[in-house]
Amino acid sequence: MKNTFIMKRAAWMLLIAAALVFGGPRAYAAIDGITGPTFNLTARAGYISTSEGGSYLMWGYADGAGLMQYPGPTLIVNQGDLVTVNLSNQLTVPVSIVFPGQSGVTAVGGTTGLLTSEAPAAGGTVTYSFTAAQPGTYTYYSGTRPELQIEMGLMGALIVRPTVNPATRAYGHSDSQFDHEYLFLLSEMDPDIHDQVAAGNMNPMDTTTYFPVYWFINGRTAPDTMGMAHDPLLPHQPYNIVPFMHPGEKVLLRMIGGGRDLHPFHTHGNHHKVIARDGRMLSSGVGADLAEMAFTTTVVPGSTADAIFTWTGEKLGWDMYGYTNATHPAYCSASGNPTAAYPADKLSQLPTDRCKPFPVTLPDQTDITNGQFYSGSPFLGSMGYIPPGEGGYNPNSGFLYMWHSHAEKEITNFDIFPGGMLTMLFIEAPGVTLMEP
Amino acid sequence: MKASRLLSLIGLQLIAIVLISFSLSEGAIQVQCPGDTDGDGLWTGTEVQPPNTQCIHLAAGDGFVTMADGHLQYTFGFSDITGVLPEDVMRTGMLAAEFPGPSIKVKEGANVYLTLTNVGMIMRPDLFDPHSVHFHGFPNAAPIFDGEPMSSISINMGSSLTYYYTTPDPGTYMYHCHVEATEHMQMGMLANLWVTPLQDGATVGGCASQKYVFNDGDGSTCYDVDFPIQLSGFDSNFHDLHIAVQPLPFALMKDNYPMINGRGYPDTINPGPLPAPVIDGETGAVSQKVSSMISATAGQKVLLRVSSLATVDFYTLSVLGIPMRVVGRDAKILRSSSGQNLSYTTTSVTLGGGESYEVILDTAGVAPGTYFLYTTDLNNLSNSGEDFGGMMTEIDIL
Ligand SMILES: [Cu+2]
Ligand SMILES: [Cu+2]
Repeated sequence: MKNTFIMKRAAWMLLIAAALVFGGPRAYAAIDGITGPTFNLTARAGYISTSEGGSYLMWGYADGAGLMQYPGPTLIVNQGDLVTVNLSNQLTVPVSIVFPGQSGVTAVGGTTGLLTSEAPAAGGTVTYSFTAAQPGTYTYYSGTRPELQIEMGLMGALIVRPTVNPATRAYGHSDSQFDHEYLFLLSEMDPDIHDQVAAGNMNPMDTTTYFPVYWFINGRTAPDTMGMAHDPLLPHQPYNIVPFMHPGEKVLLRMIGGGRDLHPFHTHGNHHKVIARDGRMLSSGVGADLAEMAFTTTVVPGSTADAIFTWTGEKLGWDMYGYTNATHPAYCSASGNPTAAYPADKLSQLPTDRCKPFPVTLPDQTDITNGQFYSGSPFLGSMGYIPPGEGGYNPNSGFLYMWHSHAEKEITNFDIFPGGMLTMLFIEAPGVTLMEP
Repeated sequence: MKASRLLSLIGLQLIAIVLISFSLSEGAIQVQCPGDTDGDGLWTGTEVQPPNTQCIHLAAGDGFVTMADGHLQYTFGFSDITGVLPEDVMRTGMLAAEFPGPSIKVKEGANVYLTLTNVGMIMRPDLFDPHSVHFHGFPNAAPIFDGEPMSSISINMGSSLTYYYTTPDPGTYMYHCHVEATEHMQMGMLANLWVTPLQDGATVGGCASQKYVFNDGDGSTCYDVDFPIQLSGFDSNFHDLHIAVQPLPFALMKDNYPMINGRGYPDTINPGPLPAPVIDGETGAVSQKVSSMISATAGQKVLLRVSSLATVDFYTLSVLGIPMRVVGRDAKILRSSSGQNLSYTTTSVTLGGGESYEVILDTAGVAPGTYFLYTTDLNNLSNSGEDFGGMMTEIDIL
């Protein structure tokens, strides 16, 4: 099948990229969400879009009087906060919220439910409170008929920032240090259930026939995952996911299983180091000493995992900037070794890689297919020739890596490849301002 | 498959061969291998192999395999054409896809030149898909050699692309085509790949075999014999619709042939290659070369290099009667940052696509006999409708 990855909203991204390249530096954006300690959430219905043009009824938590959103707002609080969540219910069924991993959650008001107190249908309210005692990545979701209501979209992320270095560490300890952080809330959908609920059948669940055909990161299917955040064309899906970094920087992945299936999440480019699960560092007492290296992490329903990804280009065996004595005699000596003048911002690769020539000859243009995120050059920050109509989505000639579910069935949108649980990591050349679309 | 359709496809196949031969640009098939002058990727005659250099030439194309219940299955895949002269590459590589692809074993720190030649899909002359090799798990990869086609390049029909790797870290990886990944991987472009450590050949921690999974420094990953165990599944409906040139059912994809190294039980224990598939009376290329028969003498340490490239399901593997010691995961030794050994003994490992485990079976004290390595997802002990088979193989302790 011919690869036609239709980036219907990528034009936005390209414009933003161009603007930022000339727009000067910009502070690193933290994970998109709303800050506490008090939240007013409203459960209501709305329709989300899938990238190939589908539209499906969802239930979700809205921020106050805002639109229903999928996933619910990412709740960001500080360790030690007394967190209060006022839930009001605009749905025709009772709903609630449970906070796995939080101790001493109290509920005031509402009616008694199986797992927690519920906000009654059509205007009911309930208030939950707890102290966010431990930093980390958590999830929250409906405790009322969760087999139906989580599928319908009543779930979200909760991030508790540590007392120590809250902006740059996930758990206070230096083993959780990061330069950039991103949420990867993974979920899936069986549209039959949504169609039945839309038709008024509130008991549509037959778990034996559950068969998802859509897969989401942060509530979007690819390529919408890579569109801009708060895109007016996706009013119910405000969160995007496009990780950015420079060589040598650290990216924190906050991974959450938001549905009912396991997903093997694969980071192209390098291993990632899983430093925590379910809001606790993998530790025998000293930092994340029990961290696990992985090129694929299974993201488990109802569970979270935090991982640190970094990439330096070390041991490639060739200079990743394409510097050689022939092209850059100031940086590379005649014997093929780096000089003192080798750029100081490009030292993430090892001295043994610097100035080493590219090891092979690439095929002629007529013999290859260029990817739309390929810069036309094997070198970081260099642009090469790409025939018109190919390439084009890598304006700063970064190194791009697909991060995706390695159950490849899940990188489709209802028979359309590619799509689903997929995004691209941008590693930009040193000095390039990172964009946060 | 209906014979009439196959006949018409074979007609198309002839047309395709003619088309491909005519569309070949001169020199597009090219193996880049230092020291090799005749382009076959081997060092013969006066050609000199540079130290620490390894060359591999793979063809990517289509072919057929036989499922354990006899079902003939159309596939895409790789075949090893290292040693084939450029003028013979198309003829040798066409319709020769293997499942899994040729196992690649490299030494840590080797300079690996892997050339991929796209020989086209003869049975689908309407397709002009490029292909790639994704060295899955390669540390600090550069996009140009990562094989993920959106961020780099992939190779068109009738042409070659040479990938370069320095294989800095030992362990169990895998490789697969990443073009149209859902389709090409479901169709079978999957294979085993592992990197052996520099510590091999030295006696560390009393390891008599001098073979290790990692540079452990203490012999704790010492083993005597190793076996690649790659898990995958086929959805025969997808494959059958593919060769029938029908729209592909991505959403309905559901694997009904769970396999180890491209075979369901009892084919897994066939120690040799499976017989060549017979397509409409014609014998095709031998395509299922990787046996999963595990044998060792009592007392040996058996290393299972377990990986999964399943495109749909998670699978749990268990060994009955021999403890499984997990010493590595995703090509990394299980060690804490302070050097504490975090290997553990278990009775099962669970893998999603793109995950690997290094598992050592210590057979010291194990009574000679036949043991089973099998999935405990019991519905996957099947070859489609045939209920005794699927993801299972035997371990013979002599
Ligand atoms: Cu392919
Ligand atoms: Cu892979």
